[in-house]
Amino acid sequence: MRNVLLVRMGEIFLKGDNRMFFIKALVRHIKKAVEGTGCSVELTQGRIFLRDITDMEDVIRRVTRVFGVHSVSPVVQCEKDMDAICREAVEMMKSLSGTFKCAARRADKRFPLDSMQINEEVGYQVLTACPQLKVDVHKPQHELNIEVRENAYLYVEKIPAVGGMPVGTNGKAMLLLSGGIDSPVAGYMIAKRGVQLNCIHYHSFPFTSEQAKQKVVDLARQLSAYAGPIRMYVVPFTELQQELYQKCPESQLTILMRRYMMRIANRVAHRANCSALITGESIGQVASQTMDGLCCTNAVCDMPVFRPLIGFDKTEIMDYAEKIGTYQTSILPYEDCCTIFTPKHPQTKPRAEQLAESEKLIDGEGLMQRAIEGIEIINIMP
Amino acid sequence: MIYLDNSATTRPFNEVIEAMAMCMREEYFNPSSLYAPAMRAGRLLSAAREAIDQQLGGGTRVIFTSGGTEADNLALLGVARNLRGRKGHFITTKVEHPAILETAAELERQGHEVSYIGVDENCVVDVDTLVEAVRPDTALVSVMQVNNEVGAQMPIEEISRRVKEKNPRTLIHVDGVQGFLRVPMSMRKMGVDLYSLSGHKIHGPKGVGALAMAGNARVQCIAFGGGQEEGLRSGTENVPGIAGLGQAVRSYARLGDTAPHMMACKQRLAQRVLDSIPGAHVNGDLAHGAAHILNITFPAKGEVLLHALEGAGILCSTGSACASHKKSASHVLTAMGVSDREIDGALRFSFCPENTLEEMDETATQLAKNVELLRKFVRR
Repeated sequence: MRNVLLVRMGEIFLKGDNRMFFIKALVRHIKKAVEGTGCSVELTQGRIFLRDITDMEDVIRRVTRVFGVHSVSPVVQCEKDMDAICREAVEMMKSLSGTFKCAARRADKRFPLDSMQINEEVGYQVLTACPQLKVDVHKPQHELNIEVRENAYLYVEKIPAVGGMPVGTNGKAMLLLSGGIDSPVAGYMIAKRGVQLNCIHYHSFPFTSEQAKQKVVDLARQLSAYAGPIRMYVVPFTELQQELYQKCPESQLTILMRRYMMRIANRVAHRANCSALITGESIGQVASQTMDGLCCTNAVCDMPVFRPLIGFDKTEIMDYAEKIGTYQTSILPYEDCCTIFTPKHPQTKPRAEQLAESEKLIDGEGLMQRAIEGIEIINIMP
Repeated sequence: MIYLDNSATTRPFNEVIEAMAMCMREEYFNPSSLYAPAMRAGRLLSAAREAIDQQLGGGTRVIFTSGGTEADNLALLGVARNLRGRKGHFITTKVEHPAILETAAELERQGHEVSYIGVDENCVVDVDTLVEAVRPDTALVSVMQVNNEVGAQMPIEEISRRVKEKNPRTLIHVDGVQGFLRVPMSMRKMGVDLYSLSGHKIHGPKGVGALAMAGNARVQCIAFGGGQEEGLRSGTENVPGIAGLGQAVRSYARLGDTAPHMMACKQRLAQRVLDSIPGAHVNGDLAHGAAHILNITFPAKGEVLLHALEGAGILCSTGSACASHKKSASHVLTAMGVSDREIDGALRFSFCPENTLEEMDETATQLAKNVELLRKFVRR
């Protein structure tokens, strides 16, 4: 029987008394990921097995992108009987060449042979039947694993998965999602650590179009393939931008806009029971992301702001975006109109006190309140 | 909703939708099959052919294609292939649709020569220069009937007469996608050898069009297969699409001369805009352009104004819809000598017989309101 998949969890094993909490979350996410494929998910003695798989490749593809899964192995299951085990072992190894070793594990101590004896016996049988193979116990090319539990399980292949922690086991955070390349990657990285995502997006109709908004919805949907359902808050931002443009110094427009975005995100995040904000900022990438700029935008938030890309180069971020599949959507050319609000010579060394002075020129509180009242909520399902 | 983007596409007539549904439900046979029901499907094709032929002055052969773009490709590449290996000379204008300009670029890559003739400030091609460019080896002159961005009408009859005086063997192709049924065309009388048209610009379905050919015009096919459409366009005929196109032609023709009404709409909108918005001006010739296309530059960013109108339920376009997802400035307006800044503020309104004068008033009001609002936010 070769329709069984063994799923290994990574860091969850480091957890103490609440280990089951993490494992149960992981099982739930795996079940969700393989929904509709007809296979069953089984948790036995700290191992996750998927059985009755019809399309192994499809199931591997789905499971290896669930956060919290460290690696998977297609497994042959047979009776706890040395003849059966050796027969399956030979069957598995005969198409391979090079060096191998056997690594037996006897969880069922009633089994008559101990681990070393299993290794010897299986190794002998394999060597006899497959003359092209040699044993190397230190650096083998293939490791034939034999586990004796309620059944015997054999596997050679070990396919790496995304790793991380099951989504939802580490609280909830609000991602500031633009249409760019960076913010989806930032969201992915934090979600990978088990954090459930909410998104907030600022929409300046008619300066940015419906297509620009749809693009962000598409990006959120791509993220949700990893991070599960995402609630997206779309904030009408036109009025605030117009006020800033008309009343505040031009060179500060971007940084002031960023501060209001952070303020609104901070408020909405509290309301949505998020405990942190996530941005795609990286030091020095654009004028508003200089050290001084970051200090000024950071100063208006009272919750932690996670910036997982802070030390990344643009090209590294682009590679990451390609890898998670958001790059092609991110580079669609829709928000050009927003350039109306970008200053020709933005301040690169803003000071918080100066900005606070400029902010007195507009009714920030009223504008933010109206923006928040006008929020459109979009629930995005994977 | 006020729909003023009829040069991008039109809402199909109800009769068209019904004709197509009927065709798919009942006349789903392959016209090439040998039994009687297949002949009924074949008759739908001939009825559409006749309807088009009648609107083009008679005596034409109609080759159905997947639309205007394919018809343009078939005309240019088909004539080039008919040279059987010789390199030829082609003439077109700088303001054609990409379906022509990109095909012409392909002709150049194949080793043919192409002359691109400029236009005046109203987007009308310079006929003297065009005729001067005609050579003994000029195989084809391709000129659009109506420009899709500003509505300029090209002097087809004059071009054809003078070109043929100079070289009787040169064929005349007219891209009539924006002109068919809205501007009169008699291929025989005007000396047009090849004429492209599209279904969805005249309240028919998308995905169907035709290349109409004068009796003696010759092109070679550009795709190979079962030999349908005189061997010029192989592939099982798009029967429901063609039936829909035929119905659209008949329904449109039944409306009579629609130009005066659309011209009244165009004049009304232009007048009210010019009166209420200082700094706005019409691109192209308001009086002599086609009745259904109006291009205006506003003192605001066109794309933003477009979305502001969208917010008020009015749909129009910047440049042409086909070019709208490219971010470069309109090649048509550039050829007319319009500056990049003015192009940035240009919107195209295109009408159909169903538009009303009230819609024009409402549009002008919304334009004035939003331009005033946006004027504060031009880039400093």
